[in-house]
Amino acid sequence: MFEARLTQGRLLKQVLEAIKDLVTDANFDCAATGFSLQAMDSSHVSLVSLMLRSDGFDHFRCDRSLSMGMNLNNVAKMLKCAGNDDIITMKAEDSGDTVTFMFESQNQERISDFELKLMDIDSEQLGIPDTEYAATVRMPSGEFQRICKDLSSIGDTVIISVTKDGVKFSTNGDIGSANITCRQNTAVDKQEEQTVIDLNEPVQLTFALRYLNSFAKATPLSTSVILSMSKELPVVVEYRIAEIGHIKYYLAPKIEDEEMEENDG
Amino acid sequence: MGIKGLTKLLGDNAPDCSKEQKFENYFGRKIAIDASMHIYQFLVVVGRTGEQSLTSEAGEVTSHLQGMFFRTARMLENGIKPVYVFDGKPPNLKKDELAKRFTKRTDATDDLAEARETGEAADVEKYSKRTIRVTQVHNDECKKLLRLMGVPVVEAPSEAEAQCCAMNKADLVFGVATEDMDALTFGTPRLIRNLMAPASAKITVTEYDYDKVLEGLGLTVDQFIDMCILCGCDYCGHIKGVGEKKALQLVQKFGDMKNIMGSLEGGKYVVPEPFPYEEARKLFKEPSVLTGDQLPKMTWNAPDEAGLVQFLVEEKSFSEDRIRKAIERIKASHGKSTQGRLESFFGQPKPKPAGEKRKQPAAANNKGAASSKGPATKKGKTGVGGKN
Repeated sequence: MFEARLTQGRLLKQVLEAIKDLVTDANFDCAATGFSLQAMDSSHVSLVSLMLRSDGFDHFRCDRSLSMGMNLNNVAKMLKCAGNDDIITMKAEDSGDTVTFMFESQNQERISDFELKLMDIDSEQLGIPDTEYAATVRMPSGEFQRICKDLSSIGDTVIISVTKDGVKFSTNGDIGSANITCRQNTAVDKQEEQTVIDLNEPVQLTFALRYLNSFAKATPLSTSVILSMSKELPVVVEYRIAEIGHIKYYLAPKIEDEEMEENDG
Repeated sequence: MGIKGLTKLLGDNAPDCSKEQKFENYFGRKIAIDASMHIYQFLVVVGRTGEQSLTSEAGEVTSHLQGMFFRTARMLENGIKPVYVFDGKPPNLKKDELAKRFTKRTDATDDLAEARETGEAADVEKYSKRTIRVTQVHNDECKKLLRLMGVPVVEAPSEAEAQCCAMNKADLVFGVATEDMDALTFGTPRLIRNLMAPASAKITVTEYDYDKVLEGLGLTVDQFIDMCILCGCDYCGHIKGVGEKKALQLVQKFGDMKNIMGSLEGGKYVVPEPFPYEEARKLFKEPSVLTGDQLPKMTWNAPDEAGLVQFLVEEKSFSEDRIRKAIERIKASHGKSTQGRLESFFGQPKPKPAGEKRKQPAAANNKGAASSKGPATKKGKTGVGGKN
């Protein structure tokens, strides 16, 4: 039997909003350690990895590990019916084929049960090696979201370059080009407003903005975002969710193609 | 063409072997395409009303060029890298099949004449489609077109299917695009259907995984080939009354063609004479193909705009506007860097251990889910240490 109760129900709503654009169907894994998910988008360009630790829930019980396949859009539909201040409880039997979401309003006056049919999904797991990244940038998540949104109105790819002074986002499109630089800024008192760069080696990588915009849907979950990059490796875009876990997104960079001859004809 | 009833058989007995894919997800993939089969399809389908095909001002049929140009353009725009493989000399065993097709065409020509007289429009269309034949001229024109588009062309020594398959086995291409299921009999690791369907038809692309085909049917490589021969292939006659289901049963029951032949002796099924299954088997297992250095170097060049306009617009009466626009789109996507995939950095994803799945006895895996997750769920920033 699995049962997890979260006073901050809003958080679960936001988590769903942050992954449903990327992945349609996925398996949620319930274990004694927590509630997690790893899934790739259908083109295998990006991956989302969610972890909500059991100690972050108000109540968490998981007798044996379960893998629950769900259509994320359908989960989001149900969670939309929960109020922002509702307490959400998830429940599933070990051998059942449904999961129940229970919403309780703050004053306990309204209690709703939503039962979702589970589905069988072939899940594949990508083994991600633990690497030391050449550059790590922590910046306000709102700032990152705005940059991605602004740049995607000009072009469809972004070049992210990190040096010791700052991080530069550049794009090129039919109408022109754009560059946005964020300087390292540790002077402000509030940690969430800082831009901190931890650099072993300058890095420059190219990414499709479309995916970064999807990642930025996680902005409400955290005030800052952490970008970890190494030469010729996927970027990690991490949102830490206070006291309970994180969402990490991995995105494969764009690479130069050697089999295409120069386009000069 | 192909193996009779194989698609249905796989759907019923090995449902896991095929999966649907989005056309867009093939970006950056090299795909071998059976050109001859597609040219035939284009001639049958593209721009056809009744008995009329698309033609140039000089009255030459251009359906094949129309199909080839726009469908190839669509792939290039999406970053797919096609390699077209053309048929060479057909194997001797296929001569019977080809002779049969020839007779069918001749019959259809007669029927067509009759239908014209009676004025049955539907019959006219039906029979005129059956009279279609891919000629050397069609092939040569398509090769010329593809070279102008900057797309590599491979001329197979014999069957294009077999050549495509060999390239897929050697990992030179990601998969083989064809509608002809005998590509699986040759052992094509990944067969892709409907990749060349027009965008407007909204047909989903379907991928067949060879290993899962064998797994699903519970057959070995040789048994699968035998089963395909029994279903009815291009190289061997067909045993009347044996369909795909019976073929699978026979192979599953007797395991080997010799035993099957023995069991059929004197029974109600009459094996045609000759039934050269051993030769057919050999053609499927060791077809004549180019390998390694014999293959031309595969590069995808920018399209030759002037050449294409000269050929398609001047010679073949295509609309200049549409051709130039398509070339524009190909060029726009050509110079771009390609999107990488996570597999190329992290290795192939592995299916999750079955024990973790819901509805299965979970006794052995209480902690399994947590520990097998690997570093993906590890908490916190990466620590100190050297970089790789």
